[in-house]
Amino acid sequence: MSVTRVKLRDFLVTPSTNVYLVLVILVLVFSVFSPQYRFSDPDNIEILLSIGLEFSILALGVGLLMICGEFDLSVGSILVFSAYVFLKLFETGINPFLSLLIVLGVGALLGLTNALITVKGQIPSFVTTLGTMMFWRGFTLLLSGGKQSPCDVSISPAFLTMLNGKIGNIPVQTIWFVAFAIILGIILHFHRFGNWIYATGDNQEAARAMGINTNLVKIICFMIVGVLCAFVACSQISRTACFTSRAGEGWEFKAVAASVIGGTSLLGGIGSMGGIFAGALIISIIENGLVVMRIPYSWTYVVFGLVILFSVFSNAFVQKQSRG
Amino acid sequence: MNENQNRQPLVRMVNIHKWFGRVYALRGVDFEVGQGETVGLIGDNGAGKSTLIKILSGYHRADRGEIYFEEHKVNITSPRDSRRLGIETVYQEQALAGDLSIARNIFMGREPVKNLGILDRKKMDEESMKALEELGLHLKSPNLPVKTLSGGERQGVAISRALLFEAKLIIMDEPTVALSVKEVREVLEFIRKLQKERIAVIFITHNLYHVFDVADRFVVMARGKKMADVKKEEISLDELSELVVKSALVE
Repeated sequence: MSVTRVKLRDFLVTPSTNVYLVLVILVLVFSVFSPQYRFSDPDNIEILLSIGLEFSILALGVGLLMICGEFDLSVGSILVFSAYVFLKLFETGINPFLSLLIVLGVGALLGLTNALITVKGQIPSFVTTLGTMMFWRGFTLLLSGGKQSPCDVSISPAFLTMLNGKIGNIPVQTIWFVAFAIILGIILHFHRFGNWIYATGDNQEAARAMGINTNLVKIICFMIVGVLCAFVACSQISRTACFTSRAGEGWEFKAVAASVIGGTSLLGGIGSMGGIFAGALIISIIENGLVVMRIPYSWTYVVFGLVILFSVFSNAFVQKQSRG
Repeated sequence: MNENQNRQPLVRMVNIHKWFGRVYALRGVDFEVGQGETVGLIGDNGAGKSTLIKILSGYHRADRGEIYFEEHKVNITSPRDSRRLGIETVYQEQALAGDLSIARNIFMGREPVKNLGILDRKKMDEESMKALEELGLHLKSPNLPVKTLSGGERQGVAISRALLFEAKLIIMDEPTVALSVKEVREVLEFIRKLQKERIAVIFITHNLYHVFDVADRFVVMARGKKMADVKKEEISLDELSELVVKSALVE
């Protein structure tokens, strides 16, 4: 009896459980208070689980990168550039699956660029990626002339299903989100590489002294983010059948917010995939929930702000408790 | 300990030079540690102790000079090389990641894995506890974050990491700095356990009182040079202390 109580207490006093509490509260509030219970309507759930989770997939990578102690503010710009590359490849008539592979490679390359500037130039990644954020967004605007272009991939139904279809009743984006979270979670918590990520973020000097190639760890994490951005770019462009140079705008801070809500430390070394998973869901649920509640969009960021502050305070409180 | 006389050298560093930009940090230092010997490396801040040791542990590279390990010439270019030889370094406070668990810290960079690089957590937990017990440290769980431990316990974790990987030489960089009297005693006790296991120790400190009891030999450094190299039986604590002061003053 006492054993279970101790365990229950440990469970409550960890940051990622707090975040699940926030998640449950949000879902309940939106379900109960949305007009005609529209939030829990199957149609809305489907929208949330497809469109909403595109962002969440990307946030998983950003959280992982933050645990190793680095930022990526260029995610939205990597996304839009990748989408543009996909559009151009699509227009030449190349097989979309091949295009996807190429675009994933482009994403990895852009992530690698961020990493090399940060690691070799010893520049804080906040600054590096602030630069590449502007560069890739601007470059894409320049190339596309800011115009929207049609990109209808439905000529390849298999491709469309893979990125924007349903399996049974479940939108594939949900499956991708869960799959990526599980893979990244296994890497982070059960794989040797995960220990290197934590060690690098927690105490880089120690990690280096213990023979961990911390630069390589960071490079790989940046590349994972790049690949996820490229993946989401392809998923989004397949769904909308249209390229827009505004894709991914504002996602960089939302992704940081998702990670922080999920208990990730801005200083690196602290965080969990479970927490990031929930944080990424929370951001998407707030965005969707407020729309369904017919609350003007301007409120969205007010609510983001409140949830971030609440999460940070509660995590700080929890950490004090667990230390005492 | 008469066996000290005829100890085989474990490590020999010969004529080591190191510049940092225009700073001439090491000016041709010879340094030797015998098998199972405990050497106290003493000197003020900036004397070059840490630089010398960081060259041995692969963190820096010497601009000139040679290193011999068990009488074979070796080329240490990274911490990995040095650990492969059996040289482990316990840095002051720097070697641990506070938010990671004891087991994850002990195995940092050398995690035991099952298939596909998946951590063998059971092995990590069991072996860390065993290594800690060997040092006489009884901690509740291998999953506690290191930041919840006392200073002495943290040193114990760092040292047990070295024990576990069958180090032949353990380098301790200021292991007693910032510790309470009781914790210092703990650390000195750890060193005695290492001596029993015939593991050589380099104990870097500027506190003579901490090192005098445990070391077999003392090397005094000042301004990038070796100023003295004396066996314990040839010197008293007072003489050693005078030697250190004089070395610092010599131009």
